[in-house]
Amino acid sequence: MKEDIREYSADVLVVGGGIAGLMAAIAAAEEGASVILAEKANTKRSGSGATGNDHFLCYIPEKHGADMQPILREVLDSMVGLCHDKDNTRRFLQESFEVVQLWNEWGIAMRPHGDWEFMGHAFPGRPRVWLKYDGHNQKPALTAKAKSCGVEILNHLPVVDLCSDESGICGALAMDVRGDDPEFVFLRAKTVVLATGSANRMYSPAGTPGWMFNTAFCPSCTGAAQAQAWRIGANLVNMELPNRHAGPKYFSRAGKSTWIGVYRYPDGRPLGPFVTEATKEYGDITCDVWNSAFTDLMLDGRGPAYLDCSGTSPEDLEYMRWGMRGEGLTALLDYLDEKKIDPGKRAVEFMQYEPHLIGRGLEIDIDGQTSLPGLFAAGDMVGNFRGDIGGAAVYGRIAGRQAARLAGGRSMPTSGAAAEWRKNRSEYYLSYLGQGSHDAGWREANLALHQICNDYIAAGPHRVRSATLLKAGMEYLEQLRANIRQEVRVANSHELLRLIEVLDLMDCAEVIFHSAGERKETRGMHIRSDFSFTNPLLSDKFLLVCKSPQNSEVSFKWRSIRN
Amino acid sequence: MPPVIDTEKCIGCGLCAEICPMMVFRHKPEESDTPQVLYGDECWHCNACVLDCSQGAIRLRLPLPYMILNTDAANLKG
Repeated sequence: MKEDIREYSADVLVVGGGIAGLMAAIAAAEEGASVILAEKANTKRSGSGATGNDHFLCYIPEKHGADMQPILREVLDSMVGLCHDKDNTRRFLQESFEVVQLWNEWGIAMRPHGDWEFMGHAFPGRPRVWLKYDGHNQKPALTAKAKSCGVEILNHLPVVDLCSDESGICGALAMDVRGDDPEFVFLRAKTVVLATGSANRMYSPAGTPGWMFNTAFCPSCTGAAQAQAWRIGANLVNMELPNRHAGPKYFSRAGKSTWIGVYRYPDGRPLGPFVTEATKEYGDITCDVWNSAFTDLMLDGRGPAYLDCSGTSPEDLEYMRWGMRGEGLTALLDYLDEKKIDPGKRAVEFMQYEPHLIGRGLEIDIDGQTSLPGLFAAGDMVGNFRGDIGGAAVYGRIAGRQAARLAGGRSMPTSGAAAEWRKNRSEYYLSYLGQGSHDAGWREANLALHQICNDYIAAGPHRVRSATLLKAGMEYLEQLRANIRQEVRVANSHELLRLIEVLDLMDCAEVIFHSAGERKETRGMHIRSDFSFTNPLLSDKFLLVCKSPQNSEVSFKWRSIRN
Repeated sequence: MPPVIDTEKCIGCGLCAEICPMMVFRHKPEESDTPQVLYGDECWHCNACVLDCSQGAIRLRLPLPYMILNTDAANLKG
């Protein structure tokens, strides 16, 4: 390791170059701030939107009408609607059309068939809120836009820790993983926007245990922001409420509502009450509502459950294929073609995937700022607002703009700031290097974490949590931490990054243990065997949790959901 | 494991290694023109390498456990 750690500085540091991160960087640069964006891989193809998306949540007054209220209701009733401070949701909807138009200007086809077109994820007779677009080039297009605004993109430079001092956030420690030997870099900034996406690889893949990269969302997104912010004392929210996605079995992939078909029992009866014939306008929204359907049917023997597209018109089947390309499901399409699986003739079994964190994590205010001044967050790792791609895009822009404005009134942390801290942290990480033939590797650490999460912070349906299970699991998590510290060694920067991802996931698991213990009720897939009812007194409240960086004391706060 | 590079078609530009979200490739031109698939079991089957390779030199081979379970839709009846 070099004696001096390389430094970069800018007004605004953006951590993560997915949709939210790129949008934050663009907005901050447009405000006149200097911006660096540190990205784990390459912004052209990183994150859960790497190769596309096809549904953009938004409110377009000319299509939906002047009253936003029915659209707000639709969002809150949708699969992304569980954990929202409604003032955030309203702000998002108000600014969403502007972002849609910007994306269209920047070369992403937001109205590929001429007019704004809302399709899928919809209840018959209710307003449709998901704009159907062709996002196959969204990452290269946003990358090009960010560069044209002067954003300095640093690829293959994952942030591993946030740095704060008495005056607040002052930067981050990052690790250059281009070469075999990791090199640590300090990124100095007046304000920081976190945008590291969802958290995957915490639980075993539900369909293919052991194949830990077979995940619906990007397996390189591992809760870095939640873990890093937790370590410096930021509020996290709703971490204990599990989320599970669904899709084809056993090929894990988000995008279930791009399929246009009817969910059916093996005897052909539809699973849900919404449609008997699927069209591109509505599809079958059953599993957005009955989230556990596929698991329920397996465990009670009525299954398996299929998605049947055989009654879908040839035109809509072609539309579905087009939508899958825009969504980035080309590996799925290639596989279907190669194996001669024609969705128009073959029903495909669906399943519920393992729990992951999306829309659970950092608490933000109306401007995207977290509980720590100068630290912002946007995208899948926010815990009190969720809007998937549209949410990431719009709130990324809001957070980036505000981070730039706030940076305007702050002074730059001095060069060499937090010198001892960065030396200690980088030495800590480097101490994991030097794998011998008898050492454990990062994979063992990840698999061991899967076991503990699967058993002791299990998510429903049909799996419970309890005070005794949580207490035991927390102890085992600490035992695992000690074992990892003692036994895991890695060979190079790539493996060290994977290990750091596991360490971040362990911090996320720790937060879930704490907050699941504090939520003494059953809600959604957080099922407490010792509190088997849903407490109406908690319905309008959120549970915040944070850990003091000074004395490691964990504290909780219940607060009213903002309207 | 997932990405399979056709060495006849590969021109050694290294784009796949540059853009892979999971960084499964290693490209060291001084060692080999064609990038190595070093961490194939970390592939997320996002298809970015397949889509972006200007030579069409990459395909994914999905592991057997990833099979998509399917049946004749006409069988779905009581």
